[in-house]
Amino acid sequence: MVFTEATRAMAWKELTDKMRNRWVLLVAFTFLLFTLMIAYFGAAPAGVTGFRRMETTLASLTSLVSFFIPLMALTLGGGIIADERERGTLELLLASPMSATEFIVGKFLGLLVAMTLAVTVGVGAGAGLLSIKTGVEGMLTFVRFLVNCIILGLIFLSISLFVSVLLYERSRVVAFTVLIWLFYTILYDLGVIGIVLITKGEIGMGPFTALLLLNPVDVFRLLNFLGIGEFRLILGLTAVEFPEFINTTFLLGVSLVWLGVPILGTLLLFRRRYQ
Amino acid sequence: MFVLDGVTKYYRDVRGVEEISLTIRQGEFLGLVGPNGSGKSTLLKIMLGLLRPNSGRILFNGEPVDDRGWRELRRRIGYMPERISFYDNLTGLETLRLFARIKGCEVDETVKRLLPGDALRRRVGGYSKGMRQRLNLAQALMGTPDILVLDEPTSGLDPSGRLEFYSLIEEIREQRVLTVVLSTHLLAEVEERVDRVVIMRDGRIKAEGSITELYKRLNLPLKVYITVKGRDTVLEDLLRLEGARGLLYKNGYLIAEVPPERKMSLLGLLMEKRERFEDIEITEPSLEEVFFGIH
Repeated sequence: MVFTEATRAMAWKELTDKMRNRWVLLVAFTFLLFTLMIAYFGAAPAGVTGFRRMETTLASLTSLVSFFIPLMALTLGGGIIADERERGTLELLLASPMSATEFIVGKFLGLLVAMTLAVTVGVGAGAGLLSIKTGVEGMLTFVRFLVNCIILGLIFLSISLFVSVLLYERSRVVAFTVLIWLFYTILYDLGVIGIVLITKGEIGMGPFTALLLLNPVDVFRLLNFLGIGEFRLILGLTAVEFPEFINTTFLLGVSLVWLGVPILGTLLLFRRRYQ
Repeated sequence: MFVLDGVTKYYRDVRGVEEISLTIRQGEFLGLVGPNGSGKSTLLKIMLGLLRPNSGRILFNGEPVDDRGWRELRRRIGYMPERISFYDNLTGLETLRLFARIKGCEVDETVKRLLPGDALRRRVGGYSKGMRQRLNLAQALMGTPDILVLDEPTSGLDPSGRLEFYSLIEEIREQRVLTVVLSTHLLAEVEERVDRVVIMRDGRIKAEGSITELYKRLNLPLKVYITVKGRDTVLEDLLRLEGARGLLYKNGYLIAEVPPERKMSLLGLLMEKRERFEDIEITEPSLEEVFFGIH
């Protein structure tokens, strides 16, 4: 039994907390600002400003959110154990009839809703405003992009929960989450580029794809790349051919593994440590 | 009845508690005292199922408590941790509802009464220390537990806050049968309230029993404080009592110790010479003296 009253109570508490401390509002506003700025100034390097088509805007937005969403999700979930410990509520919750699974799942659900709400409202409002200028064409692409954003957020949220249980001291959690963020958003891809350069491009598409699948940020980029019609064209990657099995369904499956493994690890570690 | 039977817990090589056997009777008010690092917190955590002992058994109403049993048992235990600040963004009532949902019970009127005025509607972030302690007690009492575990419940409260806290506990105990386990280093709090004291040191129980039993067992002396009129030979008279010992005799003020079995002789002597005293006070040994008398 996972979705018990205790699970729902924990989820409600997390969501209420994030609503009342204005986290949801702040993140939603930031997304709205990003969306509108990218929509208006996205083509500024080419000497053009003004609202562009939805797909063009989303292609530019992908680069930005692939940095911002992991950072937001890591900071959102990284402190869950440290916060409870500092407040003194962790011991009290553990001494209650609630199980470790109910505690972790409840926390995850609450944060999941808070994050989904912030991203949907922020990006959604931006897209809504954009559609006034550009029409509703491309709204389906927008919904796909939004779902991909939420999946990316959930993956990093589950990683942050694992870090939270693993390290549980706030300072160590903060340091480690920054390291994880740097690794997946910048260092990993630099490493992949390095490998490609060292092997003079002879690495082969199979190993190259496998390397990309080992980074959830790259999985997110691939999902947008394959799933959103004009991305290849916009990004100038029409010549890139991935193996046949790399399709949206496969990538969603990989995302599910990226989401599930840290959550499972969190549950096992938490149960071992606290129950 | 809650029984700890030969419970031992080591943190790697460091002893938490060793060979603790303790029976807590229904409706009893048990005081757990000891210096920092004596094993009180470890023992409480074992009683709450937060720590698993390396050896020994825990029984509740005669049945060993297994993994499933802990969940059921926790419904019957109310726990009030020492240091807790709760969630600043929730109101008092929302906090109580949160814990009620976790415990699978309702927030009843008795519990609500612990947060007077508009405290239930206010956010916990604006609560005073005393009000947070009331909220802490309220959450512990939800679901009408059979056992209430209090870990340093009055730390940080002023004397009136402490009095108020214990009056609340007494009020609740007058209304229903409630077993209370109180862990504290404030011996004076325990002395006046508990039915039985367990004194811990170095992870072991050094002594247990009612306060009177502990006094008798240790045979600690009575203390006599006398202010005499001018110069007097009262100290010499006192020291004639077998086992008596002078501690201070200066400027007409005298402190002496007399064995408890000489209490009547002491009273006789004092009555005989009462004209020579300005003031007299006789005190029984305090729990603090009992505590330090136990090695």
